[in-house]
Amino acid sequence: MTETLPPSTLAPTSTLPIPPEKQRRSIGATIEQYGLLILVVVMIVIFSVLPSSGPAFRSVLNVQTLVANQSVGLIVAIALLFPLAAGFFDFSVGAVASASCLVLAATTATYGWPLWLGILTALAFGLGIGAGLGWMVAYLQVNPFISTLGVATLLGGVIFAYTGGLQITSGIPEALPVIGSGSIGGIPIIAIVATVIAVIAWWLMSKTVFGRHLYAVGANPRATHLLGVDVRRVQLLSFVASSTTAAVAGILLLARQGAATSDSGMTMLFPALTAVLLGTIVIHVGRPSVPGTVIGLLFIAVLVSGLTLSGAPAWVGQVFNGAALLIAVAFARLARGSKAAARTV
Amino acid sequence: MLRVTGLSKTYATTVVRDVTLDIRPGRIHALLGGNGSGKSTLLKMIAGVVPADPGGTLTVQGRSYDSREYGAAGAAAGGLRFVHQDLGLVDPLSIAENFALASGYPRPLWVDDRALVADTTRELARHGLPFDARMPVGALRPSDRTRVAIARALRGADQTGLTLVLDEPTASLPLAEVTSLLNSLRALREAGHGIVFVTHRLGEVLAVADDVTILRDGAVAASGPVSDFDEQRILTEIAGHAPQRLVADTRDFAGEPVVLAVRDLSAGPLRGIDLDLHAGEIVGVAGLVGSGRSSMLRALFGDLPSQGEVHLHGRQLQIRSSADAVAAGIALVPEDRLREAAFPEFAIWENLSAASTKGFRRWYGLSARAARHAAPAIMRDFRVRAHSAVAALSSLSGGNQQKVILARWMQHSPSVLLLDEPTQGVDAVARDEIHRLVRRSVDAGATALVVSSDIEELEQLCHSVVVLQEGRVATRLRGHDVHSDTIIAAMQQAPHPAEPDPGM
Repeated sequence: MTETLPPSTLAPTSTLPIPPEKQRRSIGATIEQYGLLILVVVMIVIFSVLPSSGPAFRSVLNVQTLVANQSVGLIVAIALLFPLAAGFFDFSVGAVASASCLVLAATTATYGWPLWLGILTALAFGLGIGAGLGWMVAYLQVNPFISTLGVATLLGGVIFAYTGGLQITSGIPEALPVIGSGSIGGIPIIAIVATVIAVIAWWLMSKTVFGRHLYAVGANPRATHLLGVDVRRVQLLSFVASSTTAAVAGILLLARQGAATSDSGMTMLFPALTAVLLGTIVIHVGRPSVPGTVIGLLFIAVLVSGLTLSGAPAWVGQVFNGAALLIAVAFARLARGSKAAARTV
Repeated sequence: MLRVTGLSKTYATTVVRDVTLDIRPGRIHALLGGNGSGKSTLLKMIAGVVPADPGGTLTVQGRSYDSREYGAAGAAAGGLRFVHQDLGLVDPLSIAENFALASGYPRPLWVDDRALVADTTRELARHGLPFDARMPVGALRPSDRTRVAIARALRGADQTGLTLVLDEPTASLPLAEVTSLLNSLRALREAGHGIVFVTHRLGEVLAVADDVTILRDGAVAASGPVSDFDEQRILTEIAGHAPQRLVADTRDFAGEPVVLAVRDLSAGPLRGIDLDLHAGEIVGVAGLVGSGRSSMLRALFGDLPSQGEVHLHGRQLQIRSSADAVAAGIALVPEDRLREAAFPEFAIWENLSAASTKGFRRWYGLSARAARHAAPAIMRDFRVRAHSAVAALSSLSGGNQQKVILARWMQHSPSVLLLDEPTQGVDAVARDEIHRLVRRSVDAGATALVVSSDIEELEQLCHSVVVLQEGRVATRLRGHDVHSDTIIAAMQQAPHPAEPDPGM
């Protein structure tokens, strides 16, 4: 090295503000982050003290039923999360769950396979559907909207063709209803299973390289590619994770219902979508996450359960579901808008 | 024709303070200032889209408004016309449609397409633009798109006495196109229009402006006829202190170890590139549009299929994807920050840690907390000015965003830095800092390849410059030959005008 080189250290700059390690959060930001959670708590309190709903709402049985009933919905919602983080809607999760439910019922009840083999087959079925969908979206660049809706419709048709509109009820392995309706120490087993899966999904999405890549691909696929990430593989894997999780939901569905129906699964899709989108307005606004989804699901479940117990007619639940979805989307949009407006000039 | 006095704007803090500006007909007025100096807010107040604080006065075409009464209607009535940096053109639509979107369709309930095309053709012809109005805007050359946007802004009967405000009209134009656009501005000045233009390129100011106003921290730092200014003074006024120019470095790198050796590289428009990059060396890449400058960086980064050999530290690399390049220690900072590098909605710390998980792996996976806590030190080190590491990247000015993108790679000391227009759209002070960061990075034994259409940047930053012509290395300038004049001369020797290059 020659001696003519001045050391190119950076000139000291007096005007440089030193970024604080921790910033104090304003009350407004806290409400924005945890508003929905606060609302859930407030609703629980209100429904518990209201004379019309209180006694039934706060009963152990109601809490157990509520938690158990939401377990399948939670897993379906979590299935939606993976592609959504990567920037895709997956409309097939409900259908994959229904179809997996049927696969398990058919293999075990109709063909008499052992339970473990039936479960593995159902999981493999979900994984296969996810791989196919992911390949179409990531490598063939098929619009995910169309391809997932297509798969959902196709599976719905296949389910109807196989069942002929009838339920498979007899011959379901006995262990399944135990998982679906039993409890350990007062806690429904199905809720424990769902919690384990939620924790795994949370770990995958927020603590692993895969999870970080998912969000990065969702935010800017081109930039992510130029960071040396195999974007297509991440997109493919997001669908594999989604459909496999949906298959788990299908297995739990059979355990909960004790029967496989001819339902196409679309009825499971929209509550899940609502929960996921509601979840994007808590904690980290604009970003789908497992904790957010849990809060979103609780919000709807508590609201609907409380209203029903208060004597509201059945349609109220559906109206609130739809309204919550619209509000969630509008709110997320507004929050993003206000962030953009805060840009420095 | 446009006079602004005592104009201020206060959000949480005062971003524009007591600004006085005087735009006269038949003159070009350059509005200068660093990122965050208040230029954009001032322009928005003049446009009437952002209300000014009470107490200021705006006078347009002899009519005075108190700052509280002034709005977009006043601006339009006063003959103010604006062309924003992104031009506001819809590429897939025809020129005529783009005109109509701004000024209305003839016969709105049964659109008269023939009249629309005829009107638009007439407007284009008045500005000497010989285009078919049915042609999609996206098919135009970059400078012609700017001209079309200007013609659209100036449409209408009253053809004199308009005030045209241009926000960085040349920021995204290649050198040859800039010259021709500046000529168009001169023609508009001759036609009696007053022109305000914002730019970061000081050469343009001295070449075309009649008056200069420099903003710093929201206030007018200096104002006057261009003859009062030279480059040194402009830089001093923008920065608030004398510029610290990097001394031209004329070291000979022939004796240093070769870090990156490229042999017979062909990709896209490239036809057999040979290149050696030595330890500590910053090599500039100059060339006209279509000469293959960006393609060279893309090919080396595995983003463009290529043939040929690439050796890093003497070992041959097989770079088939960007993942291979990153694994080998090659980093690319692309030209289009927003589209290809930034995660605007993500926090600064997330953007900083996007390239590598080194340092925050834990037994349970990745620790977001560790990455977040590491960020402030990196931000200080790379001169990123921000209130907090958890702020969204989009809340930073362009220069600070670019420093975040650079820091994302440089903190991991890559062997090869590929920089594509590293200071495009960045103010003079941030540009200086970015240059220092690049120098510091290569001092540790790395090497950098810098593509820039800013010839001054190549002269100031690079130890050596390769000039590309039609996909080949035409010249490699070293030592004292790294000089604007020689670089431009070498670039202009291209036998044919450049063809559009989709890879650029």
